[in-house]
Amino acid sequence: MNPNRIMTSLVEGIVRTPLLIILIVLVLGVQLATDSFFGWQNIRGILQDSAVIAIVAIPVAMLLIAGYIDLSVGSTLALGGVVASLVMDKAAGDPGLAVVLAILAGGVVGLLNAFVVTVLGLNSFITTLGTLTAVRGIAQLLSPTPRNNFGDQFGLLGVGTLAGIPLSVWIAAVLLVIAGLFLAFTPAGRHVYAIGVNREAAYLSGVRVRALPFWLFILSGAMAGFAGTIVVARLNSAPAGQIGAGFELIVLTAVLLGGVALTGGEGTIFGVVVGVLFYGALNNSLVLLGVTTFWQAVASGLALIAAIGLSALTHVVRGRMAAEKARRLAELAKAA
Amino acid sequence: MSVAVRGLTKRYGATVALDDVTLDIPDGEVHALLGHNGAGKSTLIKCLGGGVHPTSGTIQLDDREYSGLTPRESIAAGVAVIYQHLSVLENLTVAENLFIGQERTRAGLIRRAQQRELAREALANIGAHGIDPDMKLGAIPIGQRQMVEIAKVLQRDARLLILDEPTAALSRAEAERLGELVRELAGRGIAILYVTHLLGEVLALADAATVMRNGRAVWSARGDEITKESLVAAISDGHGATNDPPAPPRIGDTPALAVRGLTGPGLGPIDVSVAAGEIVACYGLIGSGRTRFFNTLFGRMPRTSGTVSVDGVPRDATSPARALKGGIALVPGDRAREGLFATLSALDNTAVSSMSKLAKGGVLRSLVAERSVFDRVATWLDLKPMSPSLPAGRFSGGNQQKILLGRWVNDAARTRVLLLDDPTQGVDVGARKDIYDAVKRLAADRGVGVLVATNEPEEVMDLAHRCLIFSRGSVVQEIDVSETTADGLLSAVHSTAPETRIIDLPEGTLR
Repeated sequence: MNPNRIMTSLVEGIVRTPLLIILIVLVLGVQLATDSFFGWQNIRGILQDSAVIAIVAIPVAMLLIAGYIDLSVGSTLALGGVVASLVMDKAAGDPGLAVVLAILAGGVVGLLNAFVVTVLGLNSFITTLGTLTAVRGIAQLLSPTPRNNFGDQFGLLGVGTLAGIPLSVWIAAVLLVIAGLFLAFTPAGRHVYAIGVNREAAYLSGVRVRALPFWLFILSGAMAGFAGTIVVARLNSAPAGQIGAGFELIVLTAVLLGGVALTGGEGTIFGVVVGVLFYGALNNSLVLLGVTTFWQAVASGLALIAAIGLSALTHVVRGRMAAEKARRLAELAKAA
Repeated sequence: MSVAVRGLTKRYGATVALDDVTLDIPDGEVHALLGHNGAGKSTLIKCLGGGVHPTSGTIQLDDREYSGLTPRESIAAGVAVIYQHLSVLENLTVAENLFIGQERTRAGLIRRAQQRELAREALANIGAHGIDPDMKLGAIPIGQRQMVEIAKVLQRDARLLILDEPTAALSRAEAERLGELVRELAGRGIAILYVTHLLGEVLALADAATVMRNGRAVWSARGDEITKESLVAAISDGHGATNDPPAPPRIGDTPALAVRGLTGPGLGPIDVSVAAGEIVACYGLIGSGRTRFFNTLFGRMPRTSGTVSVDGVPRDATSPARALKGGIALVPGDRAREGLFATLSALDNTAVSSMSKLAKGGVLRSLVAERSVFDRVATWLDLKPMSPSLPAGRFSGGNQQKILLGRWVNDAARTRVLLLDDPTQGVDVGARKDIYDAVKRLAADRGVGVLVATNEPEEVMDLAHRCLIFSRGSVVQEIDVSETTADGLLSAVHSTAPETRIIDLPEGTLR
């Protein structure tokens, strides 16, 4: 690669995720204003919150890219957490079993969504809106009173560290890398985009337009169930009505901030990482800046709208760049 | 209304869709408009209907001159366009459709009884007494829906009525009734622009006719000057034998495709055999069954009986995925809707179906192998620009089609039979030759059997060895292309014009 091409791809990358620049500016600005952003405690807190969001954001982003939506992840997370809490109540059970059962429980919810949406052909928004409510109820039925005190071993999932970095952050990082590789470097990953861009064309090209989203829904449930174990391990308690309440919207916000298109066919794992971190850093900054809770919500909501506007703008810019490139290449072809 | 179009031109970037078109329609005249797909008919209609703003030229409606119309201005001036795909609201009743946007109300409430009466009058006025104003539009036959649409626009004082291939989906009886109505409306002083492919309709109905080709109005005549011969000559004129004939097929080997007794809803039985390297055209009008034949072969529509063999091996294509596995690939007619991944790169578009096969261990994509497949197929098809990373939607129509051809015929694909549905739809003249050359090369170099569905006789002449004429879902005639002319084909298809046409199945029946 010559320097020119490196510059070009750098510019293209930035245009693709303009939020990265804003994130850096935000972080530096807050640091200058408060001198407390870059404390390890603070960074660690942001990363720990972001890790759970990121784990669930992975399958949610993939589903959005394929043209589907999963709103049930907040309740599924609660179900996973509750199932783990039942196993681990008063540190009685096996942490490994708790995690496996939590993942399975989430997977079953995913399977239900998958079946209704891809086999019966119902709309995914409506279907998962339904399971969002129903699964919350199931979680509360399973554990009407919250269990707690899960023991140190299970607690490691929430508060343990490796090389000074929280375990959950390591897990999220590994999963993100795998997801990134999957989307970019496997045929199935590219097929996810193909389905989202043009389902009919994908079907006529022999892409498995039902099986692929089917497995993504199951993955989404399983990952949410797993994230639930991290949440309850950190809390050392599992109030079924509260954990993960509204979490689906947080995940959607982060994913959309990261440039995943609500209309499908577009988005990257790198974008998701930036979106999740931006969401975490923004809320943290508002706290550091001493903004009161209600104003935090206002600022957070407005930031989402601004970010979506920005993404629409860069869409136009990218369209122009692609058109320009097409023109240039056409001229080159003519000259040759 | 009298209509005078002067020097109308519409450019889209470098493409000229309309080129200095002049057209006159006086009060009470039925004016037929003919020409191939992409000749500029629809752009002209859209300029009149207000959907498209012309680049230059004027449209005069009675005494007012416009340099361009918005849909509102057009409607206010009395122009009504009845598109081939009717813009009716299927879940509302006939009466509701007639008064949509102009509801008769009292104190803000719709006066249903009054609307029903007025609807009955409006329908009777055009001789459609039999339509019940309370029926849901979706529940009545397509011919009657068209009547409702006509009643609706007349009710709004339309004085120029534009009909876009109005009989394409009608039965013969319905078509005749429509013809009578058109003559009667003209008698009331309404100007009518009648777009059609059927020469018989022109001869029966039109006072004047204009033929378009490549965006220009190339021929115009009135009254007795309009004959079948003169129309055929005008539509296909200027068509030289500049194209090389396709290389001879490898007859004698096992045929690439052998179809025996294939039937499906509204289709067949069809027997077809395509040799390796042979290009066979399936020629017929819209609704003649050629596209349905393709969809059935490809497993998109159900088949009721018959066998399909590829290279002598029987294949049971019950879904597109299985058809592809059996070596049958389809390049759909509607490129944008069914073929292309517009925002994905040219490389992804080419490799989408062979990625799994090229992948290392079936899991990890081999970017190197994909790239080399792309490079070879792009060079071979002369893709311009030859850029793997450019989004496919950014290529010109002809080059998009090359990308799609490359998806099915490359080093990693196992395509033995290629079904091309209307491969030059919306492609300009220059790119046409490119696509023809590419298809001929596919057949000659790879020994692929090719079926091409088309409604243009020139395409048959340029591309195919053999031509099957489709009508009413079956092959009615087989013609050796080297022993015929475009005119011969045109006469052949019009002499076998359907008694009753098959209405295309609704979209839900696909898959």
